[in-house]
Amino acid sequence: MSTLEHAAKSFEFSGEDRRVARWRKILQKLRENKGAMFGLAMVLAVILSAIFAPLLSPHDPILQDVEKRLLPPVWQTGGDPSFLLGTDHLGRDIVSRLIYGARISIVVSVSAVVFSAILGTLIGLLSGFYGGNVDNIFMRIADVQLAFPFILLAIAIIAVLGPNLQNIIIVMGITGWVIYARVVRAEILSLREKEFITSVRALGGSNGRIIFNHLFPNVVPPIIVIITLEMARMIIMEAALSFLGLGIQPPTPTWGGMLADGRVYLATSWWLATFPGLVIMLVVLGINLLGNWLRDILDPRLTQL
Amino acid sequence: MKFYILKRLFHSIFVLVGISLVVFIILHLTGDPAALLMPMDATPEQVAQFRKEMGFTDPLIVQYGRFFKGTLHGDFGLSFRHSQPALDLVLERMPATIQLTAAAMVIALIIAIPVGILSAVRRNTILDHIGMTGALLGQSTPVFWLGIMLILIFSVTLQWFPSSGRGNIWNLVLPAVTLGMFTMARTARMMRSSMLEVLGQEYMKTAMAKGLSPRMVILKHAMKNALIPVVTIVGMELGTLLGGAVITETVFAWPGVGRLAVQAIYNRDYPVVQAAVFILATIFVLVNLGVDILYTYLDPRVKLE
Amino acid sequence: MKKGLILFFILLFVALAFGPANAARDKDTIVIVQGVDPTTMDPHNHMETPAWNLHIQLFDTLLQRDPNIKMEKLMAESYRIVNDKTWEFKIRKGVKFHNGEDCTAANFKFSLERMADPKNKLRQTVFQGIIEKVEVMDDYTFRIHTKKPYPVMDAMLCVYGQPLPIKYFQEKGPEHFASNPIGTGPYKFVRWVKDDYILLEANENYFRGAPKIKKVMFRPIPEATTRVAALQTQEADIVTNIPPHLMKMMDWKGRSYVSKAPSVRVIFMAFDTTKPGPQADKRVRQAIAMGVNMETNIKKILDGNGIRLGSPLTDKHFGYDPSVKPYDYNPEKAKQLLAEAGYPNGFDFILNSPNGRYLNDKEMAEAVAGDLRKIGIRANVKTFEWGHYMNNMMYAHNAAPAYILGWGNTSFDADFTINPLMRTGLLLSNVSFPKLDALIDEGISIMDQKKRQKIYSDAAKVIKDEVAWGWTYQQIDIYGVNERVNWKARTDERLVAFDMSFKK
Repeated sequence: MSTLEHAAKSFEFSGEDRRVARWRKILQKLRENKGAMFGLAMVLAVILSAIFAPLLSPHDPILQDVEKRLLPPVWQTGGDPSFLLGTDHLGRDIVSRLIYGARISIVVSVSAVVFSAILGTLIGLLSGFYGGNVDNIFMRIADVQLAFPFILLAIAIIAVLGPNLQNIIIVMGITGWVIYARVVRAEILSLREKEFITSVRALGGSNGRIIFNHLFPNVVPPIIVIITLEMARMIIMEAALSFLGLGIQPPTPTWGGMLADGRVYLATSWWLATFPGLVIMLVVLGINLLGNWLRDILDPRLTQL
Repeated sequence: MKFYILKRLFHSIFVLVGISLVVFIILHLTGDPAALLMPMDATPEQVAQFRKEMGFTDPLIVQYGRFFKGTLHGDFGLSFRHSQPALDLVLERMPATIQLTAAAMVIALIIAIPVGILSAVRRNTILDHIGMTGALLGQSTPVFWLGIMLILIFSVTLQWFPSSGRGNIWNLVLPAVTLGMFTMARTARMMRSSMLEVLGQEYMKTAMAKGLSPRMVILKHAMKNALIPVVTIVGMELGTLLGGAVITETVFAWPGVGRLAVQAIYNRDYPVVQAAVFILATIFVLVNLGVDILYTYLDPRVKLE
Repeated sequence: MKKGLILFFILLFVALAFGPANAARDKDTIVIVQGVDPTTMDPHNHMETPAWNLHIQLFDTLLQRDPNIKMEKLMAESYRIVNDKTWEFKIRKGVKFHNGEDCTAANFKFSLERMADPKNKLRQTVFQGIIEKVEVMDDYTFRIHTKKPYPVMDAMLCVYGQPLPIKYFQEKGPEHFASNPIGTGPYKFVRWVKDDYILLEANENYFRGAPKIKKVMFRPIPEATTRVAALQTQEADIVTNIPPHLMKMMDWKGRSYVSKAPSVRVIFMAFDTTKPGPQADKRVRQAIAMGVNMETNIKKILDGNGIRLGSPLTDKHFGYDPSVKPYDYNPEKAKQLLAEAGYPNGFDFILNSPNGRYLNDKEMAEAVAGDLRKIGIRANVKTFEWGHYMNNMMYAHNAAPAYILGWGNTSFDADFTINPLMRTGLLLSNVSFPKLDALIDEGISIMDQKKRQKIYSDAAKVIKDEVAWGWTYQQIDIYGVNERVNWKARTDERLVAFDMSFKK
């Protein structure tokens, strides 16, 4: 069929109906896929924990009581029923810290992902569209970025600017842009010469118009998929930063910080590190399942991710 | 082909220079190492004298120029802490790092490829679910947790392996499994999705319709094509494994470059950081070039430009 | 093609799998595990305990400390103070270096003058600006001439000043020496595989007699849990720097035991009184000192492995005054003092701390902050990576209002603690008390030890009165020892293989 006929076919339904039908189809597909349901449940659990933390949490997460330090989970000898999963090295309740920890994890991973997505997409668009030297330079910078040890960047930026939330987001954002840039660039390269672009150009469309009105919307589905997958990686990266002592400062609870604090006690008080580790694992699993499903319905070509 | 290789090598030089420049700037942003090298009872005058003698007070451009000139002779300077040539310090630890990385890669691939293939061929069965959940778990397990658990279980309790250090093949197992876990998980998932895509292709269905036994079809045709994206991942992973084995090397007291590099960063031992980053980046760039060349053998459709 | 790849990897792996094995860990070798590898084998060019522990096997000093920290002679047969600026040493005869060279007064002149010359850019600077020159009187007698009176020379010579073999050192150069050391000590250097192990063997001709243990291996294992694992699998004989909570893993009847010793290291919280803020007021500092329950914190955070101190000195440091006690825990009085000083509703307070530099440093800081919150001070802990901490906070005097630091003074003399940490104008000092400055300056310039004892007693009282430090405690070092080894932990954190033996 010619392009025109294709276009005609897609206008068979009116705009309104088409959108509603599409949503219904999506929800139906979601219910069918158990993995995606689990993923959605996980994501919702995290979001709800973050929002309703003060209501859900049995204790104040930063209240410390050295007398009650290192209590085991309730089912072991020495456990205390008011501290279901035990206490940490300063006597703080693990459950409460896990619940409040969701806040930081969400804020940090969402912000970092948005930052790197915007940065990467912009670079990818420019690189793919203009090609030539612009493309070369950006791709070399990408190589430098990839070969660069993350630790060094983290230590430098955070050590210089201070270990607060913004700087951590900046560090994580800077290290994440390459994948967006590469994928967007690949898309643009294949779309650039397509017919509909040449026709827009023939109609007198400027470069800017072409990039933002025509190329960009095609790039959105793969970006969404990458975002969901990267979100999981950001949560793990926050843990890595806390590990290096560069994470969010005490006493604010973060899952990564709890992991790091629990490392020394792994052999004797395993619950300090194991529960945050489990939570991270489950949330990452959930996000990945959701992301996989999204990828399947949005663009099956993206199985490479 | 030869021209392509030359062009890539030429680009690589820029990348390496770029990296050394960025490393230099970042290192100097974090302040000079005087405070870490001086004895605790140093006087302000002694510190000022030291800074002047080491050239830390010269303008950055001058310092970088000095460093750059040295690298042209292969001289990265003397380590501040060890008073030995920085490059030597890095090179003498390379065999240990290469050994660990190779072992980790081998273990990862030996398990990941069959698991991925099986999961794809038996899609949506229990086998598939177990395989992929296991993979997701493997991807989100914190490295230190895995390492310490392996030591406690297989070394201390079962006494099957030594707990740390580098000696013979028995010392290699636990650290290699720990390091390879993430790669194993990621490759398994990649292998599965890649196989699925290949199996769904037209020519696969044709081959099966022709009457070739399914096993033959899989082994001969599917795998070769499915391995292509896996090769990319392996290439990238190899590069990161080499420099990112820090936690594994620390937990298992493995005398590799990762440990040296991170310690050098914490000690602001500039020459060693520069030397380590240089060597690791070089390997990374060369490995990626190798992977791209390998591509052309695996997929005749790919033409490098 | 892919089969070729896999084959290649397997071959590579097999080829590399048979790398240099750990030297045969046989029954005659004692394996000592520290946290890090030494940076160099040059005894004059480092400042870390792990390196000292290597050098103490390979090199000798003029004097040394016995396990009770009493000064005793080692290479020196006798010594005397000739005048305020001259020390005379007579050394043992017949001592040889591992390569056969004789050790005479000339070797000491060479080594001490090397240390005193700033042009050598050595990391040990104790003798720079102190030693004028070393005068050789005869083969076994020499005099050290100092620029000004230096009452701590003998204390320093217990730690610094190892003689080097002149011919070997000059022929091969310092860089070679740093990886191939030759000394006079009870053990000879055999091999160093960086970050993996160091192997030493007994010097049968050692002047104090051949050591009982014939081979010593040092291994660096950074992760505490892994160190303990090495003890449990009997791969290691002695492991160092064990956090208290892992102690129960090491006490295995018939296999291993725990050996503890009060450390030379003290941990403290210091105030920056030179910057504006509530902490500039003595009453506020006193309130803070009374508002922190260190007894409980030590009991809980360190499992009791700490000794509260009333002054910066431990009982083994010369100048210690047992009558200066720490402030009692009294949160009511603390709140009163705060109100008196004009802070009835408390104030915001930041406690700066390193992270992982000292045992449970971050935890202790958080516990302290928790105590302060109970008396109304809104305290928060800020932790920093060590390099950043030293560079941008300590050296830049940017750690106000309060910070945590540790100090291990192995000269065991008061001056080396109080002077660098509290004298006005020095890099690590953030206080300024003229009375204290006067005492410090006097203490280092007179030779009469009795007078010095009184001076440091007074200094301790000034320090307590002005509350330069909010609290301080002496660490207790915890070691794990294999059942087959006879050894007791030392206060100065030294691992002297010469004093070790295997049980029959």
